Amino acid sequence: MVKKWRQQMKRWMAEKLELPADIMMDLPRITMVGHIHIYIENHRGLLAFSDKELRLLLRNGQLVVRGEQFVIKTILPEEILLEGKISQVVYIDE
Amino acid sequence: MKNEWVDTLAGSVRVKARGKGIERLINACVRQGIAVWNVKKHSADTATFFIKLSDVKRLRHVARQSECKLSFVGRTGLPFFWRRAWRNSGFWLGLLLFIAMVFLLSNIVWKIEIKGAAPETEHQIARELKRMGVERGAFQFLLDDPETLQKKLTERVPDITWVGVEWKGTSLHFRVVEKEIPEPKKPIPPRHLVAKKEAVIADLFVEEGQPLVSVNDYVQKGQLLVSGIIGAEGRTKFVPASGKVFGETWYKSTVVLPLETTFHVLTGKFTERHYVGIGRLLIPVWGWKKPVFAHTIVETEKRPFRFWKWDLPLYYERITIREAEEVKRRYTWEEAFAEAKEIARRELRAKLPEEAAIRSEKVLHQAKENGKVRVELHYEVIENIAVPQPIVQGD
Repeated sequence: MVKKWRQQMKRWMAEKLELPADIMMDLPRITMVGHIHIYIENHRGLLAFSDKELRLLLRNGQLVVRGEQFVIKTILPEEILLEGKISQVVYIDE
Repeated sequence: MKNEWVDTLAGSVRVKARGKGIERLINACVRQGIAVWNVKKHSADTATFFIKLSDVKRLRHVARQSECKLSFVGRTGLPFFWRRAWRNSGFWLGLLLFIAMVFLLSNIVWKIEIKGAAPETEHQIARELKRMGVERGAFQFLLDDPETLQKKLTERVPDITWVGVEWKGTSLHFRVVEKEIPEPKKPIPPRHLVAKKEAVIADLFVEEGQPLVSVNDYVQKGQLLVSGIIGAEGRTKFVPASGKVFGETWYKSTVVLPLETTFHVLTGKFTERHYVGIGRLLIPVWGWKKPVFAHTIVETEKRPFRFWKWDLPLYYERITIREAEEVKRRYTWEEAFAEAKEIARRELRAKLPEEAAIRSEKVLHQAKENGKVRVELHYEVIENIAVPQPIVQGD
């Protein structure tokens, strides 16, 4: 109840005060260069990785990236750079 | 992104992980601060990735708590390169030794060839060369250069007129021309004798031809002295005129001589320094003593090092520092005048042919000018003024 209320409060602040949503609400920031690079900040860890799929844990939910010939170029505690042919980016809410 | 170039330099390792929970392993690595890059999945339970060489120990620690088996499949970077180089050090040493040997052997004189000389002259040349240090096995860069060798040889061996010195790779070739007896004279074509310069005829010795002048005649330059056309008119004959026509000629010379002169005379003491140079950089090899000479004359000699048959940009340089002494010479006015006259006479003698004689000498003018003497002299000289001039016969 309190958690939900706080979340709503944050969303309201992000909208009204024009603060960046990813900082305020701890959301992932995803940058894509065409379909060959994807750069995801603010993730919470690797769930599954194969050359066709990458599954990342987020603060609430998961992010699934599908495609071909995946290579993780760099991985840091909160950032990941993926290379390959990306065909889908799916956001799964919990 | 990180600079991969730095990782390459510091060394990186490719790790192959096999088993379940590879993702968990990677998460654990990342949380421990181990940089992971180029993660590739090859099948459901194998993956490869790169880590830094310095992180290997920590990775082992992390891997112990996971269900994966790790193996190292590739090593790149300088540390591994050095290790491999060290393991192959025998080969490198051999290669270095080989290059050193070729270098050494390329700088040695291997053969001395003397061509065109009679056996005794050849022997003499060989002996002289040995005295100069030119022999088989000597280092090329310690020898004199070809021009100097040539000069020294022609000076020291009296029987040779000319010697050509040439390097061909590691062998030194000498081509010798010996002094020879002059060949018998060829028949001389018909000619006149004409005056070389204006003169008064003092004496005539005509061997062949028709003399056209007599003693005490004044002749101009180029005037016909002895004609090569003889015989009465209508029955003329062409002969090569020969003989000597002595004429009295005049020369004027001016000599200026300072009363005081300083010059540098070598005392014979010297120090040598040896260098190896590349471009303008000189690396001292031998000779460190600082000379204590007040006045010096410095000589430098440069010789390139050779490799196989090429001259390297490396060279050997010898700097010889010779002690010089300053000597002051001072004349009194009388001495200076006498010396100036002597100089003038010597200069004239050097210009004149051997059979010419100076008949008289007259001082036209002598003066003292600020610290110098100036002497003008006039000479009367008896010399052969006849020079041949070929007769161009018409058709």
